[in-house]
Amino acid sequence: MLCRFTENTKKAKNKLMWQRPPLKGSYDAVIIGGGLHGLATAYFLARNQGMNHVAVIEKRYIGFGGSGRNTAIVRANQRTKENLPLYAEGLELWPKLTDELDFNLMFFNCGNLNLAHSEAALGSMRLLVASAQFHGIKSELVDAKQCKEIVPILDISDLPTYPIMGGMYHPPGGTVRHDAVVWGLARGAARLGVHIHQGTEVTGINVQNGKVTSVETDKGKIHTPRVLNAAGGYSTLVSAMIGIRLPVHVLTIQAMVTEPLKPILHHVVSSGAYHCYANQTLKGEIATGAHMDPWPNYTTQVSARYIKHQAEALTDLMPCLKGVKFMRSWAGLADMTPDMAPIIDGNNPIQGYFMDCGWGYFGFKSGAVTGKYLAEFMASDQCPDILAPFTLRRYENHKLMGEIANPVNYGPWN
Amino acid sequence: MTDRLRNLPTMKVHPQTELTLIYAGKRLKGLASDTIATALYANGVRIFSRSLKYHRPRGLYSLDGECSNCLMDVDGIPNVRAETSLLQDNMKVEPQNVVGTPERDFMSFIDKLDRFLPAGFYYHYFHRPYRLWPFFQNRLRKAAGLGRLKPSFRMKGIFDEIYPRAEVCVIGAGPAGMQAALAAATQGLRVILLEARPWPGGFFDYRSTNDVSDIPLHQRARQLADKIEENRNIRFFPGTFMTGFYSNNLITAFQVGKETDYFDERYMEIRVESVIVATGCMERPAIFDHNDRPGIMQVACAHRLARTYGLLPGKRAIFSIGDDLGLEAAMDLFDLGLPILCVADTRSDGQAPGLVEGLEERGIPFMRGWTVSTAHGSRTLKKVTLCTLDGLENRDFKCDLLVASAGLTPSAGPLFLAQARMSYDRFTGFFLPDEMPQKVHAAGRLLGLQDPLSIEASGRLAGLSAAADCGALVKVLIKEARELLEQLPGPVRGSKFIQAPGSGRKRFVCFDEDVTVKNIYQACDLGFDHVELVKRFSTAGLGPGQGGIPGHNLPLIVAQYRRYDGDSSDPILPTTIRPPLVPAYLATYAGKSRNHPKRTPLHETMKKTPGAVFRRTGSWQRVRYFTHDFQCREEIETVRNHVGMIDVSTLGKFRVFGPDALHALQRVYVGDMSKVKEGKVKYSAMCNEDGCLMDDGVVVKTGENDYYLTSSTNRADSTAEWIRYHTRYEVWNFSLVNLTDAFGAINLAGSRSRELLQTLTDEDLSNNTFPYAGYKEFRIGGDIPVRAMRLGFLGELSYELHIPASYTRTIWDMLLEEGRPFHIQPFGLEAQNVLRLEKGHVIIGQESEIRNTLHDLGLGFLWNREKSLYKTVGAPALHFTERQNGRMKLVGFRMEDPRRPPKDGSIIVDTRIRGHVCTARYSFTLGQSIGLAHVHSDLADIGTRLEILEDDMGSKRLYAEVVPTPFYDPDGKRLKI
Repeated sequence: MLCRFTENTKKAKNKLMWQRPPLKGSYDAVIIGGGLHGLATAYFLARNQGMNHVAVIEKRYIGFGGSGRNTAIVRANQRTKENLPLYAEGLELWPKLTDELDFNLMFFNCGNLNLAHSEAALGSMRLLVASAQFHGIKSELVDAKQCKEIVPILDISDLPTYPIMGGMYHPPGGTVRHDAVVWGLARGAARLGVHIHQGTEVTGINVQNGKVTSVETDKGKIHTPRVLNAAGGYSTLVSAMIGIRLPVHVLTIQAMVTEPLKPILHHVVSSGAYHCYANQTLKGEIATGAHMDPWPNYTTQVSARYIKHQAEALTDLMPCLKGVKFMRSWAGLADMTPDMAPIIDGNNPIQGYFMDCGWGYFGFKSGAVTGKYLAEFMASDQCPDILAPFTLRRYENHKLMGEIANPVNYGPWN
Repeated sequence: MTDRLRNLPTMKVHPQTELTLIYAGKRLKGLASDTIATALYANGVRIFSRSLKYHRPRGLYSLDGECSNCLMDVDGIPNVRAETSLLQDNMKVEPQNVVGTPERDFMSFIDKLDRFLPAGFYYHYFHRPYRLWPFFQNRLRKAAGLGRLKPSFRMKGIFDEIYPRAEVCVIGAGPAGMQAALAAATQGLRVILLEARPWPGGFFDYRSTNDVSDIPLHQRARQLADKIEENRNIRFFPGTFMTGFYSNNLITAFQVGKETDYFDERYMEIRVESVIVATGCMERPAIFDHNDRPGIMQVACAHRLARTYGLLPGKRAIFSIGDDLGLEAAMDLFDLGLPILCVADTRSDGQAPGLVEGLEERGIPFMRGWTVSTAHGSRTLKKVTLCTLDGLENRDFKCDLLVASAGLTPSAGPLFLAQARMSYDRFTGFFLPDEMPQKVHAAGRLLGLQDPLSIEASGRLAGLSAAADCGALVKVLIKEARELLEQLPGPVRGSKFIQAPGSGRKRFVCFDEDVTVKNIYQACDLGFDHVELVKRFSTAGLGPGQGGIPGHNLPLIVAQYRRYDGDSSDPILPTTIRPPLVPAYLATYAGKSRNHPKRTPLHETMKKTPGAVFRRTGSWQRVRYFTHDFQCREEIETVRNHVGMIDVSTLGKFRVFGPDALHALQRVYVGDMSKVKEGKVKYSAMCNEDGCLMDDGVVVKTGENDYYLTSSTNRADSTAEWIRYHTRYEVWNFSLVNLTDAFGAINLAGSRSRELLQTLTDEDLSNNTFPYAGYKEFRIGGDIPVRAMRLGFLGELSYELHIPASYTRTIWDMLLEEGRPFHIQPFGLEAQNVLRLEKGHVIIGQESEIRNTLHDLGLGFLWNREKSLYKTVGAPALHFTERQNGRMKLVGFRMEDPRRPPKDGSIIVDTRIRGHVCTARYSFTLGQSIGLAHVHSDLADIGTRLEILEDDMGSKRLYAEVVPTPFYDPDGKRLKI
């Protein structure tokens, strides 16, 4: 073995993105899950709240879960008044965060086109468009011809299974390089003193007199007054450690990319009827995501069904893509709540136990901004107004949020 | 075209059949059975493409499509694998990612800028100041991507799909795979045998050695192939690329059609009991400076070029190899006429003595413990520097061909996909299965075997084991096969991971993404310690080659780095392998057209009806309008004034019967189902646990413990599941039959509907004998049985007729014929929508959503609070929310400006968003614009003024007033006439 790279390794220490510090016996806060949400919260705890003594505990490696598996789409054209401000601020945060972290998150502001295939879908979209406009967010309804002007490779004839009748165009949206967000936040947090412990598994959370006291891990016990469950697809399992059952179904969701092409698709295109969304990454691959597997499970295994379905859908909408090849497919976990809105709560019912979960397949879009407010929540024990609607109590009160109109029950019957 | 070798028994090309290809505008000749790449190579083409990032020249390397070097544009299709795609006459081939010509690329200067482009450089540059980012982003986008697809491109050809079933699937028709297939087939099992190349034989196919048997290996391959062909239990699929391996042994693949096949490509899903993976090995790329120069190729590539395609790969060759196959290939190529200057072997000992003697006999200098350190030549290979492993001694050789390989690495992709537990084996240097999933077996070279007899024996053992999975009684045979295998040579020691000294700046680990060894170090330096993170950060292995080139070297380099970094405890981990193992066209995956909507029994009749405008509604194809006046004035007025009819066959229809049928209904319906009386319909609803309306419909008692019920269209599929799910813990004895498709349904509505229906039947339909909310079974039109219900969804006297599906058209036609004097007209979904809106009736999904309980929709009266005995789904929530404040409520509203209804989906605002419009229409019947909306409860009082905001309305508002519903015939007199 002859390779000379001692020179490289010597230089290395001072440019490490994050260190591998030893696990300490106590921290001011322990964050379970080294994904976007956990890292963002850690970063903002250290940066905005002056709480530097924070540990992020990650069972695998950072970004292993949904943060590294999503299709990186960002947008702020949600349905409800509770969600809109959060996502809108989230969208504005990407350029700022890029600057702040000095790490190019590669926000590609290409705009999102959501296709409608029926009169009813157009009606639903009007609700979204009007709501966005009311909140000062750019969004508009377009007809089929305008869809074609925006995305010329669309087939707006009667040939597709679900012919295109119009759509919703949302210029401020786009994509952000998801890995960059994870790495940028990890570096930013680590530089502010946050300890990132990869390959460390949380095995229990200890509570005394209704208060969190410590977290058990396979590498040792950590005393802490605050713990955040930001374990994404595995948040139900963490929650179970403390005896809180979440109204969350965990489902596998699949995505895939094609071989790289020169630019041909310049927007994020999505279609509810086809359960399909696609965009071309900066690298030239067409990344596309599918609907969730129709049964709950914790595996990240792909199935034969969705890659085929995706090909059918994409080639129906954009026939030229028949000449492209799928190169890779993968799956992630979506922690779905009944109303397709997240659960963000804390000190309820256990003092010091915070939750940021139930984000389903839309946790990427406003992960960073949620971290910012959650850090405020954790540091002050005061829930910021913008997060208040996401309380866990809404399910007990049968006051669901309505981010989706249709009742969703991700049980064995669908 | 270069002269081909002649009279080789291993040749697959047909010198008699010449084909034409057009490359970069020039007409060239190839032979039948050439791949595009071999045909180009025969014509002297050496640079096939330019690389993604640095625009470095790239050439033929593996002949198995393991990298993007030979991705080309063929007939307008980008990224075609020239190495594995068969040549067809008049193909138009263009090089990719080239600015200028492949020989002179104007972007090749980037290659000199690599110092400024470290791993992940784009994360560190271009965002300061941020306003410049869009500019750089567009530059990056344009520079990225390989092939170019035209928006007007349309794929030609036939793309089929098949779903074959068998007991055993064998992946790979090399010696091990063929033996496995034969062993299983001999036990009477159906076997599917997949092979990526157009012919069977694997790595026997092009080898002439007969060291271990009395015939050359290629003849042995032929023998086995003949047996495969003779065996009627084996279905052999050549040219078939396996793509995925899913749970319960579902294998996906695609087959590329030959000229004689009816298809161009076909997608395959193969479900079997047991799978045998015998995919063999590929070569581990040697890592040295400029290891990507055209003129450098792998051992099997050079060997197969000569043996299979009759092409001597160069004029002056150097070999730098790491295993015996390399030595064998050198000897064989020398014998075929390739001048070889020397053979360097990274191993200092352990070579088969026969091979070393063979080199000596031929006078080929043999250098043990040497390896290649640098390749020279600005575009194609001109010179090679060899060095000793300690780097102290160097020698240069002028040459135009370097056959370089570090040894073998298993093509273990299918095993990874099958979830076999794989770990790095230090002896073979392979990732080997520690534990196989049930009913999956591995055989042949990918287990580290090299001896031809061992390979065949392992195939036989795997075949028998698979047979045992399928219940064949082969215990004794398995024992014998295992004993035989144990007597034969086992796995051979793998060649070490060797790198010549150097910074690794131009040492490519991944050709597709232009990732060098240095880039890997850079990623490691930054603290990316997990191999998966290194892969993601450096992008090594994320290209079209599916990790074929970097797949094995990357984990080794990272492990090596970690060892130098003082961390030797970590095991060597593979990167994740993901399907499809071989990229496949979307056209292939999509297969045949899939537009098969469900059609009602009246579909053909509807199609012939003038003016019918169809819409896809869920899985159904239904008529939305019978006119191009999308306000449907005529349809609506016909129903209000005369009589109309609509096809409602899509309604869910169920029979629930048995001793406990009533219990089941009580569980899911909010109403008290014990009050359903024979001859009467009961309208009721189902809620979920939140008290949210899931479904509504009518229930009819047709006999003792026998009920007939309907559900809304889009719940037809899930209602059966819903009932079963919510009764799953009960030991109730009842049966449920889904009759949705068995019955067609027609809703005959309008004040004259009774008169019309009476013309078709002798049954007394008078209001006394068949009143509102009545149910009757009788015969009409002679002898057609019909189930009739008097319902009031549309606010008029109406009859919902459920008719056996095959008679539905007859009844429709009769009604149309007899209805002429009554001015009958069919009406569509939109007219129905307006008619029921005027009546204030809710359509699930349109006026109800997840936030609304039954109370919120004003349907609380349907709920019977007394029947707690049955644990009715949603009852606790209905109790809880009954008097809850601050909920959304469904209200009716009337526009202040009667001519201007707001569009559906408009929102209701004050200083905040307070609700939204579900449906609003201009009512011709009432001369007003009316609608239904969800509003916050403090806006729900009658008389409240609503501010409505449509999209693109700016600061303008529309105004409406909350009014009671129904808007039309509030007392329901018209229903009861």
